[in-house]
Amino acid sequence: MSSDVILVIVVCTALAFDFTNGFHDTANVVATSISTGAARPQVAIGMAALLNFAGAFISISVAATVANDVVNSGVVTPTVVFAGLIGAIAWNLITWSFGLPSSSSHALIGGVVGSAVAAAGFDAVIADGLVGKVLIPAVIAPILAFTVAGIAIGLVYRVVGRQRPGLVTRGFRYGQVVSGGLLALAHGTNDAQKTMGIITLALVANGTLGADADPPLWVIVSSAVAIALGTYSGGWRIIRTTGTRIIKMDAAQGFSAQGAGATVILASTHFGFPLSTTHVINGGVMGAGAGKRVSAVRWGVAGNIVTAWLLTLPAAAAIGALAYGATAIFGSGALGPVLVSLMSLSLIFAIFSRRSRQGSPVPAG
Amino acid sequence: MAVVVETKELLQTVVASLVAGVGITVVFSVAIWGVARFADLSRNERTLAAGGAAVLAGLAVLVTLAAVAFGIVVMSSS
Repeated sequence: MSSDVILVIVVCTALAFDFTNGFHDTANVVATSISTGAARPQVAIGMAALLNFAGAFISISVAATVANDVVNSGVVTPTVVFAGLIGAIAWNLITWSFGLPSSSSHALIGGVVGSAVAAAGFDAVIADGLVGKVLIPAVIAPILAFTVAGIAIGLVYRVVGRQRPGLVTRGFRYGQVVSGGLLALAHGTNDAQKTMGIITLALVANGTLGADADPPLWVIVSSAVAIALGTYSGGWRIIRTTGTRIIKMDAAQGFSAQGAGATVILASTHFGFPLSTTHVINGGVMGAGAGKRVSAVRWGVAGNIVTAWLLTLPAAAAIGALAYGATAIFGSGALGPVLVSLMSLSLIFAIFSRRSRQGSPVPAG
Repeated sequence: MAVVVETKELLQTVVASLVAGVGITVVFSVAIWGVARFADLSRNERTLAAGGAAVLAGLAVLVTLAAVAFGIVVMSSS
């Protein structure tokens, strides 16, 4: 009975994480379309929500479960997963409140690593997996997207530079509808899978599913719905940062950034080298700015974003470890997760309601 | 280090991203160039050259759409 209560709490927490993933990360996907006027904000967000929902159904192979690659699966219990999710949600909300586009995947990995270390010590961490699957891709993703977008925008200006600006802008705005859609679809495929993987992991850890089981249909549907709802609720603070604060973007730059983002994500998916969508898209935006003029990039804002990326893993790990410690005080029953959930919910509600009053949509321009 | 980092996959990702990302963006900008030239040349009644620009624009749009379709296939098969 107690383990079933914990499982229900873990599933609800995973769906809450999926919701924050939607409004936090998907903001990156639509930010360039909104800021260049390629789509009206509500249309762009609505389209991204639908495509994220669809993306979750495109591939139902369980994404390499976070915990299997970076922590020993033997130490993973529903409580470890729960505490890891609390770490990820908390970091997502903190970075959202500052309008900083950090990686939800890294927040989740950091949270699970922190709670696993709190539960079983540093032996719980698979160091090779953490370096090879997380840290190195985290460095490569933004550099690669930056380079692709920078080269692409330089060539684009050479091709269309002498044509009438109005027609060129309109053309790239149409292109952004397609490139933004492809990005949203790729995001749904990658990120909803993470939540499906985490819920499936909890079901396996609880003995509800066999070790090699695929995610049940209700897990797929609920994950798709949660990320779509999160997307539709819109992370305006992050949209403003990615869309207008890093560079003042024209439609050609928006298309180059999204095109670079989509191709880098698809290439990495195809060759099995996992990259963070957040890092890729923001690297692309910076590259599209620097490709036009290096001083066009507000490097102070870019520096803040990179700092948030560097802090994501350790900060989410620290919160995950704290959440596990707080849960463990009340023993191995359901009381700890219930109390930590209630406490987290009140804190989240307080942050969310205070900050959401301060956010405002970016005007299409 | 070679064990930790899957070097082959990394190199493939870098090369494919550079070729596809730069290639598709440039091809789409060629489509826009073609449309813009078609409009200008048509106005100047240079029908043959305008037709050539329109064909180039059409081909570039087709290549872009094919790349998007390929991207969706890659996603669904991964």
